Amino acid sequence: MKKHRTRSTRLRTSRLLAVVLAFGLIVAACASDDDGDDAEEAPAATEAMAEESMDESMDDEAMHDDDMDDSMDDESMDDSMEDDMDDSMDDAMMDLSGTKVTVFGPESSEEEAGAMQDALDVFAAASGIEIVYTGARDFSDQINAQAAGGNPPDIAVFPQPGKVGDFAAEDWILAVPDEVQAAIGAQWPAGSLDTVTFGGTLYGVPNKTDLKSIVWYNTSIFESGGYAIPQSLEELQGLMIQMLGDGVTPWCVGIESGPATGWTFTDWMEDLVLRIHDENIYDQWVAGDVKFADPRILLVAQQVLDIWNTPGMVYASGGSIAATPFGDNGEPLVAGDCAMHRQASFYAAFLPEGTSVGPGQEVDVFYFPALGVKGNRPVLTAGTYVSAFRDAPEVWAVMSYMGSAEYAEARQAAQAARKGGGQSGFLSANLDQDLSVYNDLERSFVEILQTASPARFDGSDLMPAAVGAGTFWTEGTSAVNGDKSIAEAFAAIDASWPQ
Amino acid sequence: MSTTTASKPGPVGGAIERVDRTGKLIYGFLRRIPTWVLWLMVIVWSIPASSLFLNSFRTRDAQRNSGWWESFNEGGWTLANYSEVLGTEQTGGLARALVNSFAIAIPATVIPVAIAAMAAYAFAWIKFRGREWLFIVFVSLLALPNQVALLPLLQLYAGGAHWTIPGTEFTLTLFPDFDLAGSATAVWLTHTAFALPFAVFLLHNYISSLPGELFEAARIDGADHVTIFWRLVVPLSVPALAAFTIFQFLWTWNDYLVAITMIGSNGEAWPATIRIASLAGEFGLREHVLSAGAFVQAGVPLIVFFALQRFFVRGLLAGSVKS
Amino acid sequence: MGALGGALIGVVIAIGASAALFSGANWLFDLAVDRWRTFLAASCALVGALVGAVIAGNDVAGGPLWLWAVIGAAVGAAAGLAASLLGTPSKPRRTRLSERGRLVTFLGPSLLFVALGLVIPLLRSIYLSLLDSRAEAWVGLANYGEILTNPNSLDLSGWTEIFTSRLFYAALVLIAVGLGIGMAVGRRRGRAMEALPGSVGPIAIGLFVLSFAVFTTLRGTVINNLWWVVVVTGLSTALGLAAAVLADGVRGESVAKSLIFLPMAISFVGAGIIWRFMYIARPPQKPQTGFLNAIWVWLGSLRPRTTGAWVAVLILALATVLLAGLCAFGVRRRQTAFAIGAAVTAVPLLWLIYRFLGPGLGGSVPGPTGEPIAGTILFLQEAPFNNVWLMVVLIWIQTGFAMVILSAAIKAVPSELIEAARVDGATERQTFWNVIIPTIIPTITVVATTLIVLVMKVYDIVKVMTAGNFGTQVIANEMWQKAFTELNFGLGSALAVVLFLAVVPAMAFNIRRTQRADA
Repeated sequence: MKKHRTRSTRLRTSRLLAVVLAFGLIVAACASDDDGDDAEEAPAATEAMAEESMDESMDDEAMHDDDMDDSMDDESMDDSMEDDMDDSMDDAMMDLSGTKVTVFGPESSEEEAGAMQDALDVFAAASGIEIVYTGARDFSDQINAQAAGGNPPDIAVFPQPGKVGDFAAEDWILAVPDEVQAAIGAQWPAGSLDTVTFGGTLYGVPNKTDLKSIVWYNTSIFESGGYAIPQSLEELQGLMIQMLGDGVTPWCVGIESGPATGWTFTDWMEDLVLRIHDENIYDQWVAGDVKFADPRILLVAQQVLDIWNTPGMVYASGGSIAATPFGDNGEPLVAGDCAMHRQASFYAAFLPEGTSVGPGQEVDVFYFPALGVKGNRPVLTAGTYVSAFRDAPEVWAVMSYMGSAEYAEARQAAQAARKGGGQSGFLSANLDQDLSVYNDLERSFVEILQTASPARFDGSDLMPAAVGAGTFWTEGTSAVNGDKSIAEAFAAIDASWPQ
Repeated sequence: MSTTTASKPGPVGGAIERVDRTGKLIYGFLRRIPTWVLWLMVIVWSIPASSLFLNSFRTRDAQRNSGWWESFNEGGWTLANYSEVLGTEQTGGLARALVNSFAIAIPATVIPVAIAAMAAYAFAWIKFRGREWLFIVFVSLLALPNQVALLPLLQLYAGGAHWTIPGTEFTLTLFPDFDLAGSATAVWLTHTAFALPFAVFLLHNYISSLPGELFEAARIDGADHVTIFWRLVVPLSVPALAAFTIFQFLWTWNDYLVAITMIGSNGEAWPATIRIASLAGEFGLREHVLSAGAFVQAGVPLIVFFALQRFFVRGLLAGSVKS
Repeated sequence: MGALGGALIGVVIAIGASAALFSGANWLFDLAVDRWRTFLAASCALVGALVGAVIAGNDVAGGPLWLWAVIGAAVGAAAGLAASLLGTPSKPRRTRLSERGRLVTFLGPSLLFVALGLVIPLLRSIYLSLLDSRAEAWVGLANYGEILTNPNSLDLSGWTEIFTSRLFYAALVLIAVGLGIGMAVGRRRGRAMEALPGSVGPIAIGLFVLSFAVFTTLRGTVINNLWWVVVVTGLSTALGLAAAVLADGVRGESVAKSLIFLPMAISFVGAGIIWRFMYIARPPQKPQTGFLNAIWVWLGSLRPRTTGAWVAVLILALATVLLAGLCAFGVRRRQTAFAIGAAVTAVPLLWLIYRFLGPGLGGSVPGPTGEPIAGTILFLQEAPFNNVWLMVVLIWIQTGFAMVILSAAIKAVPSELIEAARVDGATERQTFWNVIIPTIIPTITVVATTLIVLVMKVYDIVKVMTAGNFGTQVIANEMWQKAFTELNFGLGSALAVVLFLAVVPAMAFNIRRTQRADA
C-alpha cells in the first residue's frame, strides 16, 4: 500500500500534464480534421470556415458588414445563410477564381473518369474554378445516401432522369436558373430538357447522350450468308428465320449486369413498345397510366421472350440468357457464334481488343429498324443529366459548361485519346458541337440522335426508382429465367408502382 | 473428428505376430489421416484464390476464353492488370488511397481493441448492479444491421445534432458540427462503434475465463483495477487481443460500404477498396482488372496476419491454475 | 507526402488523445480517496469547462469558445474548493466513489460509442418503420404487414412437396439409423440411449439433410435467411474447428492456417469475382472456363461403358475394398466407431459406382441429334440450390474466422490439464473429447453466435453474385434495396427491425447460458 502511494505521488505531476494534454489533443484533433482534408486545396478558406463555425457566436452581423467580400463564398456554403444567396447571385459576374466545385458521377473507370476530368480541366483553366470530378461505381445508391445524409457534392451526374425527379420532389436539388436554361436550351434537340422538367421547372442540364436503338453485327456472317441489312422490323423478322434455317445463331443476348441485372431486357421492351405501338402509348406506359398488365405491354413482352426462347435463336455465352453478363457478348459476336447484338452506342468498348469496327470492318452497326408499315424512325436514347446541390455562381458556371458544345468536344477528344484511338464511347446530342471531333461511326450515331423522330429516353430510367431500378429489372429477370410467367411478373411490377 | 479415432493403438490381445505387423502398418497409415485431411482441406480452400491469382496475370479475353488451369497452354499473360491498378491516377492515385486505408484501419483497430478490452474487463471482473443485463443488451446490438446506422451517423457528422426546444425559438446544439463528413475520421469513428459489441463479446469470453485467484491475490497485494488490467489482464489476453486485432484490421481494411457512405464524393479521402472497385467502370467493362486489385488489396491484411500469428502460442497461462 | 503526414498525424493524435484521456480520468479517480479537495476542484473544473464550452457553442453568450471554457473551469474549480470546505465524506464512501468512477472509465467510452452509433440508430429505425416510404405519414404496422404478406418473403404453399423430396426420406433414414445404433449400444450398457460418434453423427447429418428438405420446399426471403444460418453457421464452425484441431502442432501449421485464412483477407469484391470464375457456365460447344462446370462436364464425358467409366469404377472398387478391410479390422479390434466410420465412408463410393455403371454421372445431356453433349449447371440461376452455392462462398470465407478464434482457444487450454489427463492414462481421443472440447465450449458458442448474427446480416455476397434474383433474396439485401436504392425508408427500417428482433433471442439465450456456465 505504502509503496503504491509513493509512486503515485511521484507521478502526480506527469499525470496532471496528461490531463491538460488530453484536452489539448482533443481540440487539436477536431481542428486537424478540418485541416487534414481541405488544407492542401484552400488553406485560407478552410481556416476561415473553421473559425467561423467555432465562433458563430461572435457576431455574424459584424462580419457581414466588415468582411463582406472575403466571407461571401464561405457563407454560401453554410446552409443556414439563406439571405446571403441573393447577394452572391448579384455578384454572379464576379471573378470565380479560387472557388471549388465538386462533381460526383457514375463514370468511374480510368478512361471515362479521366476524360471527364480532362474536359472539366479545360474550363477550370479558363475560369480559375477548381473542379474535381469523382466517379463511383455504385453512384446510384451512394447519391441517395449522401443527399439524405446531408453530405452531397456540388453537382451530381444522374444517369436516370427519374431520379432527378425524385430528388427534386425531396428538395435536394436546385432548380436550374433561367440564365443557364436560356444558354443551354437552344443547344439541344427539342424535348431533351423535358425529361428533367418537373412541374414546369427545369432541374437538370443534359451532359451526355447514348444511342440505344442500334444492332451490332458480324459483317463476315452477313457477307457469307448473303444477308441484307434489314430496313424494317418485318425484314428483321425474316432475316432471323432465314438465319435459323442456315444454322446461324441470329442473336447474342445476356441480361446479367450485377445489381442492375435485367436492364438489357427493359431496353428490348422499350424499343419494341416504341415500334409495335407508338410514342404516345410509350409515354403513358412510362408515366404509369398504361399498366404493365395492359394487354398491349404484355404482347410486347411475349414477343421479346418468344424471340429469345426460340431454340437456336440466341447464343448465351454464360449458359443461359439470365446467366450471361451483357458485356460478355462482344467476344462471341466477333468469333461468329452469333450474327447480331442489340446494344447501345457505348458497346464498342466491350468488343475484344483489336476488333475493327465500322463499315466493311469486322463488326458494323445498323439501326434497329421500325415497322415498315409505319415508316417512322423511332430512336431510344439514354444519357446523363447534371443537377446542382449548392446555389453558387461557380456551380452554375460549371453546370452551364457541362451542357455546352465546348464540353462535348473536349470530352470527346480526351476520351478518344485515352482509349488510344478507335471508338471513344462518348456521344453528345448537342447541336452546336463541331462534329469533326468524332470518328465516322460515332458521327453517324450523333446524326441519328440529332435527327431522330420520335426520340424517347430509356423508359426504365424515367420510371420511379422502385420500378425502373427495381422490379422492372428483377421481375423481368424472373420472367426471362422462366421462374415466373410474364403475367405474374408484370402484375408484381404494377403492384410495386409507388402510389 | 472420427479420424482422430485410431491414432492410439487399443489393447492388442491374442493376435499372431504377422497380423500384428500388418496392424502396425495400418495404424501408421491411419495416424497420418488427420494430416492428410488437413492438407486436402487446404488445397480445396486454395483453389478459388489461386484461380484468381493466375487470372490476374491474364488479359480480359484470355480470362473469358479459357479456364485458368489451361493458362499454361493458352497463354494470354500480361502485367497490364497490375499496372492499371498500381498506376491509377483518379482521385489522387493508389498510393494516396493506401495511405487513407491505413489512416482508417489503424485507429479503427487500435481504439476498439483498447476500449473493448477495458469494457470486457469491467463486465467480467467489476461487480455492479445490472451487469448481466447491460452486457446482454450491449452484445445484442451485434444483431443490428449496420446499414441502418449509416444514415443517422452521416447526418451527425455532416451537420451535428441540434434540438429546438419545443415552444421556443432556441436551438440547442447537442453535438457540434465538426465537419467530419467526407473525412477518414468519420469512417473510423463509425467502425469503432460497429466493432464494439463483437469485440466485447469475444474479449469478455476470454477475459472472464482467466483464473480469478490471480486477481484476488493481486488485490490483496494492493493492486487497483488499472494495475490489474495493465499488469495481468492485458498480457494474459494476448491471444484473444491478437485474434480480434486481426479481424478488426481486416474488416476495416477491406470495408467498402462504411467508407463510401461516410466519405461520399470526396474521392481524395477514399481508401483503396473504393479506389480499386471503381476501376471496373460504370458497366463493369474493366472488371478483369479487379482480379489484380484483389491481391494488391489483400497484401496488407496478410502481413498483419503473419505478424500476429506468433501470438497464438501455448502455455501463456502455465502455472496459473491450481488444479 | 503532405497527405501521408496529415493522415498519420491524425492517427497518432487520435490514439494519443484516447490514451491521455484514459490516464487522466484514472488519475482523477485516484485522487478521490486520498486528496478529496483536489479531486473535487479538478472534477468541478472539468464540468465547468464543458458547461462553458456548451454555452459558447450554443450562442448563449458571445466570445470565443476557449475563453468560456477557461471561465467555466475557473468557476468550477472555485465551486469545488468551496464545496470541499463543507466537509469530506467518509473514507469508505470515497473509496466507493473511486470504484464507481473506475467503472465509468472502463465502460464509459464503449457505452458512449455504442449509444451514438447503434442505440440511437436502432430507436430511429423503429420509429421510421412505423412511417410511410417518405417518412411523413404514420402507417402503424403496415410495413410489417407488407413483409409478412408478401409471397416473396414467405411462401409456404409448397409444403406438401416435402413428401416427394428424396432428401426428406434420406434424412429420415439417417436419423433412424442414428437412433438405432444409439439404442442398440445403450441397451448393452443398460441405458436407453448412448451418445457416441456412431449415433450422434448420423442424427446430426440427418437433421442437416432434413433442413435442406424443408428449405427447398418452403421458399421466400425469410426462409432463405434461416437456411443460410443453419448451413453457414454449422459448416463454418465445424470446418473451422476441424482445421484448428487438425493443424494444431502439425509441421507446416502456420502455412496451412494461413492458406485457410487467406479468403478472409480477400475483399468481397474480389470474392465475388473469384466465385464467378468458379461457377460460370458456357454453351455446350465451348470449353468450360468455370472450374466446377469443367469438372462436371469432364465427369459427364465418362459415360457408362466407356473406358473412362471403367477406370473410374475400378479405382472406386479398390477404395471400397480397402474400406471394407478397414471395417473388418475395426470389428476385430472392437473399435465400433471406427468400423462404422469406414462403412459409412464406403456408402458414397458405392453410390458413385452405381452411377458410373448405370445412369451415368456428371454434365451430359442428349443433344438435338441424340448424341450426348455437355450439360452444365447454372450454379447461380437454378433455384433453390443456387442458394447453397452462394452459401459456399461465405463458408469459404468464414471458416478462417472460426479457425483463428478456436485455434487461439485450443492453444489457451492449460497444458497442465492435458498433462494431467495423460498421466491418468487417457488416450488422445479421450483427452480431446473430455478435456479440450469442454474447455473451449464457451468459445465455440461465441463463434457460433457471432456467425449466426453475421450470416443473418449477410448481403454483400448476394448483392454481388445474384442481386437477389432467381429466388436468392435475403432480408439484409432487400433492406438495402428498399432503403438505399428505392429510398423507401419505412419498409427498409421495418426489415431491419425484423432482422434485429429475429436474432436477439438467440443471442440473449446464448449469452445467458455462457454467463451461467461461468458462474
